[in-house]
Amino acid sequence: MTKQDYEGPILEIDKLSISFFTRLREIPAVMDFSVAVQPGEAVGLVGESGCGKSTVALGVMRDLGKNGRIVGGSIKFKGRDMGQMSDDELRGIRGSEIAMIYQEPMASLNPAMKIGRQLMEVPMIHQGVSEKDAYQRALQVVTDVKLPDPKRILESFPHQLSGGQQQRIVIAMALMSEPALLILDEPTTALDVTVEAAVVELVKELGKKYGTSMLFISHNLGLVLETCDRICVMYSGEAVETGSIEDVFDKMQHPYTQALFRSIPLPGADKNSRPLKAIPGNFPLPHERPQGCNFGPRCDYFEEGRCNASMAIPMAPIDGDDRHWTRCLKFQEIDWAAPMVLMDQKEKGDIGKVVLKMENLKKYYEVSANALFGGGGEKKVVKANETLSFEARESETLAIVGESGCGKSTFAKVLMGLETATDGQILLDNRNIEDIPIEKRDTKTVGEVQMVFQNPFDTLNPSMTVGRQIVRALEIFGIGDTEDARKQRMLELLDLVKLPRAFADRMPRQLSGGQKQRVGIARAFAGDARIVVADEPVSALDVSVQAAVTDLLMEIQREHKTTLLFISHDLSIVRYLSDRVMVMYLGHVVELGSTDQVFSPPYHPYTEALLSAVPIADTSIEKEHIVLEGDIPSAMNPPPGCPFQTRCRWKEQVPGGLCETEMPPVRHLAEGHQVKCHLSDEILARMTPVIKVAAE
Amino acid sequence: MDPLTWTGSIAVLNPILLVAVVAMLIIAIVNIAISIFVTEGPQQVNADGTIAARGGIPGLMSLLLNWTLMAVIGLVLIYAALGVLMGSNAGIIGAMSQRFLPVWIALTLLFALSIIYKRNLGLYGKLFDSPIGMIGFGLVMFWVFTGIFSAFDLIVTHDTLTQISGMKNKVPGTPVRGAEDGEFGWYLLGGDNLARDVFSRMVKGAGIVVLIAPFATLFAYMVGITLGLPAGYRGGSFDTLLSFLANLILAFPVILLFYLLVTPEIVQTGLPQYMAVVLFLFPMIFAGVLIYSRYSTQPQKCYVWMAIILTPMVLVYLAAINAPGTRIDFWPLDFFPMPAGILVVFVSVVFVNSPTVFRIVRGLTMDIKTRDYVAAAQTRGEGPWYIMLWEILPNARGPLIVDFCLRIGYTTILLGTLGFFGLGLPPESPDWGTTINQGRKLLQIYLHPALPPAFALLSLVLGLNLLADGLREESLKD
Repeated sequence: MTKQDYEGPILEIDKLSISFFTRLREIPAVMDFSVAVQPGEAVGLVGESGCGKSTVALGVMRDLGKNGRIVGGSIKFKGRDMGQMSDDELRGIRGSEIAMIYQEPMASLNPAMKIGRQLMEVPMIHQGVSEKDAYQRALQVVTDVKLPDPKRILESFPHQLSGGQQQRIVIAMALMSEPALLILDEPTTALDVTVEAAVVELVKELGKKYGTSMLFISHNLGLVLETCDRICVMYSGEAVETGSIEDVFDKMQHPYTQALFRSIPLPGADKNSRPLKAIPGNFPLPHERPQGCNFGPRCDYFEEGRCNASMAIPMAPIDGDDRHWTRCLKFQEIDWAAPMVLMDQKEKGDIGKVVLKMENLKKYYEVSANALFGGGGEKKVVKANETLSFEARESETLAIVGESGCGKSTFAKVLMGLETATDGQILLDNRNIEDIPIEKRDTKTVGEVQMVFQNPFDTLNPSMTVGRQIVRALEIFGIGDTEDARKQRMLELLDLVKLPRAFADRMPRQLSGGQKQRVGIARAFAGDARIVVADEPVSALDVSVQAAVTDLLMEIQREHKTTLLFISHDLSIVRYLSDRVMVMYLGHVVELGSTDQVFSPPYHPYTEALLSAVPIADTSIEKEHIVLEGDIPSAMNPPPGCPFQTRCRWKEQVPGGLCETEMPPVRHLAEGHQVKCHLSDEILARMTPVIKVAAE
Repeated sequence: MDPLTWTGSIAVLNPILLVAVVAMLIIAIVNIAISIFVTEGPQQVNADGTIAARGGIPGLMSLLLNWTLMAVIGLVLIYAALGVLMGSNAGIIGAMSQRFLPVWIALTLLFALSIIYKRNLGLYGKLFDSPIGMIGFGLVMFWVFTGIFSAFDLIVTHDTLTQISGMKNKVPGTPVRGAEDGEFGWYLLGGDNLARDVFSRMVKGAGIVVLIAPFATLFAYMVGITLGLPAGYRGGSFDTLLSFLANLILAFPVILLFYLLVTPEIVQTGLPQYMAVVLFLFPMIFAGVLIYSRYSTQPQKCYVWMAIILTPMVLVYLAAINAPGTRIDFWPLDFFPMPAGILVVFVSVVFVNSPTVFRIVRGLTMDIKTRDYVAAAQTRGEGPWYIMLWEILPNARGPLIVDFCLRIGYTTILLGTLGFFGLGLPPESPDWGTTINQGRKLLQIYLHPALPPAFALLSLVLGLNLLADGLREESLKD
């Protein structure tokens, strides 16, 4: 198919409604959705899971499956109604004029085919070019997505590349046919933060270079701010607000958008003086949507008889702004500039004595080449944790930050007693526990050190009731003498995590993600835990639920004087809730200090890059762009010298190539602030803040 | 008395059934042919948002197929119902249907109750949402009830060993010469070459299969689970060793193994009995560990449960392995003498089935042990057996239940094979394998003695496979 020139919007979606049909009922997934994408423009589609944003993308691709149907409205691609096109025409457009990039890169690549073949296939099928031309084109595109050694990459299989490289290949594949429209469905969710930053940077650059329009689907407001020109906020199948990034971020005109921004930890939020405000209630199921405004039941400005009248609420334009629309009846009455009603300010918990102390903790794994009969063959040592030293105090939150493979999970395992340390000490109340595996620990110790897991869908045993699982934890920790006493305590624990007592008899599958996570927290506190390791407890939850769960953790901490070890890669939330921060890279602690010390210069170069990589959903923030080259090295063969030297942008500043030969020593920059780096004091002093709040 | 025809006075229904079956087959074939060439459009929707019936030719065809299928099933039910009412007036079919009356009643009750309460019955209840599963379950339960009732001498018309003179190799429906009052007047499915009643032998054979197959499979499961869980969970050299042993057993030709096990010389050494001593131990280990891991924090409760569950198990165990006059003969309380042949068959079937179960359980365990709830159990200091039995096993139940159903089917066929080769069970035993083997000898002249047990075997195994399919389908729909 020849591509014709066309002026005007690339994609025009007008009053689109998509429904899925089941034997029981019609389930409307998208209702009255309109958006237009101009040439070269990037439009962000934001919303929580289940709001219909991916359905819109599938609707554009006309890939709704057997049960899905477009029941109203139209989708025009370059001015032509896609509903009128034949299957052949659609097939010609897909992959050649509209390309899509999915979340999981490995799932989009054929594992049995070499990268080069897969890339060459695209122009060979769509444009019928010769194999030689296709190869040249593939080589060109792989160079464009900044992969090292493109020829070798073309010759490799998908599994030989890292996640970040795979996603670059998927992007390259999408660009092979120079599409007019690129749909990106959460393209970086599966990647690490620094890799994500690099991929986002790349997408932006390529968008400019090729003049491609983009529809960027994400749940992350910060990411949309960085990549898009316009934004469309969706809630429960409807677009609730759409407009340019500046208008929506700074002059929002819909209560949901406002609530969303108030529930994410932006710089300035603080767990004590300015806590986050979670959106009350739950996301409505598609077939249980309320009358009138979908957001009504959760809205602060709800007006009985008006917001829940039976008529559908239309999108209303906002005067003076460029194509800024909102789906709210009361937007002209609401005082949007009014400051947020402050939630009750909380007393800062007093930080008490040292509870946990790590000294030069080391954990090495031996990986033998021939695992079948054990022994024999050469052995490799993986240094998962290298000289970890820190202490944690009562009612303190210590955040442990790092990307995958940095050794934070190993550290948690050693602390919990699932593994024993290779060297060094762990002192719990001055008792050594590093060599005591969990079977040999007394119940009190086990109950005192507990863990909250990351994946809410995996943290509860699916075939046991919620109550039974908590009671079992109580049994194991030896709490309560009788069955009734334990049951009573279990109900109190449900109260503690603010779940209705009726949930005790429910099965985990009947609970939402946030509710499951609460049960996980209740279970962790069953033995009056004093130290709780929270392994990314909110990263798999939706934004509006995240705030509530975070708050709950903080509240329990205040009450119980718990020491919280908060493992996360999300620096926004770390800044919000932690007292001290520890940054890890490849098993080493590269920086440790109070939150203020870590978040302001001087930084360790890795911390600096991390800070720059985290997207922040605030237009008044100016960030310095630091993009790390390459991927995290494998722990199996770490680079010599400083572990970060392969990606460090300050390496040249250190004389004599010291970084490549010698492991940097731990240096104390200030009281309680330590850094593992060769950089001289004066260079460190010259560092400028990565995140700056623009002068208002 | 006159010989019975197949359908007697309800023969008028035969042409109708024939037409219905032929129509159904033709429509089914046409339907398949159409589905190859015609691609379907999106589903049509009613005004109220529900999915409408499919339109066009494919829709019409599938509607026709449903109707003809209903007609065939309805006709078959009419045959059965008329048979119950008219008895031998409705021919052999009618007489058999009347003999199966207790089974019909039991099946009707079971289905009625299950369908009424299906919303409260979990996965079992969901089975009644799937037609395939219902058909499979119906077939299986038909033979289960037949087996149970035949043990009380219901259904059967004659003693399975009595030979009546003049009935040798007689065709189905032959009247018994000089039948007295109270005696059944016909050999419904004819007589075999020893002049015994084929129908009664088939019905009695169901009892043997229904007794051995599920229990042997259950024992194989106990062995497989008790060994597979730690192998998958712990891994290491324990796993390597057990997997190697499992491979060894699986690699050994099954039939040869059976021949070896039932050879009189080997039976005399007591090898099958020693194997029984080991294999029958596993259910007790399983139950013991299950209780202990659950109640280890409350010793009092733990002992009570152990006593309640384990005492009867130990008694049954000792009675089962003890046989007077053999190598293992020490236990005075032998309250059920297990026939030596049955024990050998049982042990061999358990022995060859458990390695496969072991592998399935091991694989499932290795998958499930990476879940967070297992890690959560580890971090609160649970013992390995609690994690294996209460955290991992319940979540592996889906595939295990499906495999259990399929495996009963394999076991049934295995039992048939054993009987066919005359291994283990005595030659006069009415089990299906032995009966088929005896009928085989005169197969070219007389078909009727071999076919009924063969069809019985077929329908039971088919039922089990359909049941497994239905369970798998429904368990995925959650």
